Amino acid sequence: MAILTIFTQPQLLLLVGVGTFAGIYIGAIPGLSVTMAVSILISFTFSWDVYPAISLMVGIYMGGVYGGSRTAILLNIPGAPSAIATAMDGYPMAQKGEAGQAIGVTTVMSFFGGLIGILVLAVAAPFVADFAITFQPRDYMLLAVLGILLVGSLSSGSLVKGIFAGALGIAIGAVGRDPLTFAERFTFDLKLMEGGISFIAVMIGMFGVSEALQQLQNVNMKAVRQKIDKIVPSFGTVKKYLPLSLQTSSIGVIIGALPGTGGDIAALMAYDHAKRVTKNPEVPFGKGAMEGLVAPETANNAAVGGAFIPMMTLGIPGDAVTAIMIGALFIHGLNPGPMLMVDQPDMFWFIVGALLMANVFMLIFGLTGIKIFTKIVEMPRSIIIPLILLLSIVGAYAVNNSITDVYWMLGFGVFGYFMRHYGYPLGPVILGVILSRLLDDNWRRAIISEREDLGRFFEGIITSPLSLSLFIAVILIFVSQTPVWTAAKTRLFGKASS
Amino acid sequence: MSRKLIGALVALGLSATVATAQEYPTKEIQGIIQWGAGGSTDTVMRSVTPHAEEALGGTVVMQNMTGAVGAIALNYVVDADADGYTVLMGAENPMLYKVMGLGDEDYSAFTPVNLLARGTAMLVANNDAPFDDYAGMLAYIAANPGELKLGATGPGGLPSVITAMMNTVEGELDVIAVPYDGDGPALTALQGGAIDVMPAVLGAAIEGIRAGNMKPILIFETETNSTLPDVQIATDANAAYATYLPWGPFFGVFAKNGTPDDVIEALTAAYATAAENQEFIDLMAGRGFTMMNISGEEASAFLTKWQQGTAWLLDDAGLTQASPEEFGIARPAN
Repeated sequence: MAILTIFTQPQLLLLVGVGTFAGIYIGAIPGLSVTMAVSILISFTFSWDVYPAISLMVGIYMGGVYGGSRTAILLNIPGAPSAIATAMDGYPMAQKGEAGQAIGVTTVMSFFGGLIGILVLAVAAPFVADFAITFQPRDYMLLAVLGILLVGSLSSGSLVKGIFAGALGIAIGAVGRDPLTFAERFTFDLKLMEGGISFIAVMIGMFGVSEALQQLQNVNMKAVRQKIDKIVPSFGTVKKYLPLSLQTSSIGVIIGALPGTGGDIAALMAYDHAKRVTKNPEVPFGKGAMEGLVAPETANNAAVGGAFIPMMTLGIPGDAVTAIMIGALFIHGLNPGPMLMVDQPDMFWFIVGALLMANVFMLIFGLTGIKIFTKIVEMPRSIIIPLILLLSIVGAYAVNNSITDVYWMLGFGVFGYFMRHYGYPLGPVILGVILSRLLDDNWRRAIISEREDLGRFFEGIITSPLSLSLFIAVILIFVSQTPVWTAAKTRLFGKASS
Repeated sequence: MSRKLIGALVALGLSATVATAQEYPTKEIQGIIQWGAGGSTDTVMRSVTPHAEEALGGTVVMQNMTGAVGAIALNYVVDADADGYTVLMGAENPMLYKVMGLGDEDYSAFTPVNLLARGTAMLVANNDAPFDDYAGMLAYIAANPGELKLGATGPGGLPSVITAMMNTVEGELDVIAVPYDGDGPALTALQGGAIDVMPAVLGAAIEGIRAGNMKPILIFETETNSTLPDVQIATDANAAYATYLPWGPFFGVFAKNGTPDDVIEALTAAYATAAENQEFIDLMAGRGFTMMNISGEEASAFLTKWQQGTAWLLDDAGLTQASPEEFGIARPAN
């Protein structure tokens, strides 16, 4: 069985290990992305055999998705877009001296999520892929609308401010040449605006630089001492979150398998889901709720397995990283496509095995060295602030090797600082940027397909079971956030909901 | 200063000049890829360049620079020194920048080092589409005006050129053009039934066809394609296609105009050798590309013909921002 290939060859095992280890650190540094690392590896591994090359890439991918949580928890700076939700409850934990515990739970739950993703890939890939490609433009649009409704979950405090932040994000995402018509939007005839605003630059600025500016206010404040005795979560703790993590992992696999969406949206949706289903969290969400860590971290690692599903069964990438891996397979003389599973089933099982191994390595490397990591939070701010700024600049430049991105990053950093200052949440801005094109492009595709006829558009929604379910979900979630619903609920059940 | 010393200095200077001329490359060459990692331009360049490095005896560091349909990468190389240490690895898109209003530069600012290969355009249809061939498709469009959903990738992309070609040859076809980000997402949508027909490059569709996930309708070539010999070719369907064919997206390596001749020669020789590598040829054949491996005058002539035909086709379809005439692009003689 090819699934065992990885276990019988020490060299491949070593490469997966090295990849996972490197991935964790690449993922942890904002701006150094897995996508970037894997694309560099394409040239680097050109002359290698295909198995070693894939081993290294799979390791980096798995490790990188997990690594993003590290800086999110310790510094409130998500290392990758898929760790944005993790920061919301992870950082409050670190501020209470529970960084070690937060990382411990994150690691075990990422492992669990990863496992579910791999399991689904191994046993149900063809079915999930067939389901994923039936998503029509209108379904992606409804999914994006569902995503937009997360603004409520991501804004602690004023919803109005959250909506403003989300709308700003959508506007930022629309800047540049429209990919469908090449018309310029919000570019003010400036060359540097034509390519749009790099979403990673916005993220690094809003979270990294604004955090550094924020900390600058109390530069002499003593750092919180971290408790490092209970790092590995007890079996009881894991068991308690098992039902939730099964649900959020499923969200991760499906969203990951959809060719138009990835781990970032999966993590945010999972966070929102956790907030809805958790009736009485021990600690409120946004203040360090364990559920707020479990949900996004299981989902984004489950999305890894999910992203491989359309890649392996149809040759369609599930996200940016798998898109590059398809290129890698091609360079190594394979023809990734629907026939790959038939012609080269070994390749499929080899990747499943490599993912499994990367997941195990992630658990091992994740749980060791936590003590040293938590020391980062205990470092004096006079050291940590310059370090954050340096990493932010390097990261923003590295995305496209463009100095313009550094300016954007710094600009959004200052802007983000003032947003924090006036109580505007930053999460919805990033959510808006992520969803902007998904919403815009798919709405236009959907309505163009129906000859710009709204009647036909709604007819399409009602006649398709998938679209109808998504549409009903949108309506329910929307209504459940309005005062009308709360009033009705109070009248029906006799008590106000939280 | 003694004569000896001056003599030695002069000799040193001379030998240094000779050395620079002979030893190109003396440092790493930067290869700027116009498109993202994993895309077809990227994979072609990353597959051929290691063989060119071997022939050249130097290192080419490849870097993806995306944005503005590749214009950002092109402008970057235009702004660099014409010393052969920054080369552009691109596709056909820059030939349309001027007429599409995407930029002021195109490949006329470059010397083609090698035009490696050309892709073949074809029409593929969703398996459930109520027709199996080109004539059937035309009949369906005529009977159901405004119903057939045809995939597109924005003005200037391969689908827009093919659609313009069909409209010119067959008369205006009443279809709905649904835009996608590229042929990958559009072919995914085709399999899911969001669109009915997609004009795509053969290499992108071939695996889906082999697996029976989509059906081939027409190949835009003048001769039977060896990869899909049973599929009808455009000139058999309508002889009028001969005016525009052979046509297809292409991949090439370019150096800025003004690069020293010996450097161009060295690069040209290296890529010509690389393009003859059997491994590379097999790889390209597997993806349905037609090898060209041309340089110099031959490459320039190809570029001119390509630009004239395509720019006017798009202009006649009303898809351009400015007339090709403004940039001195002559209408092709039939």
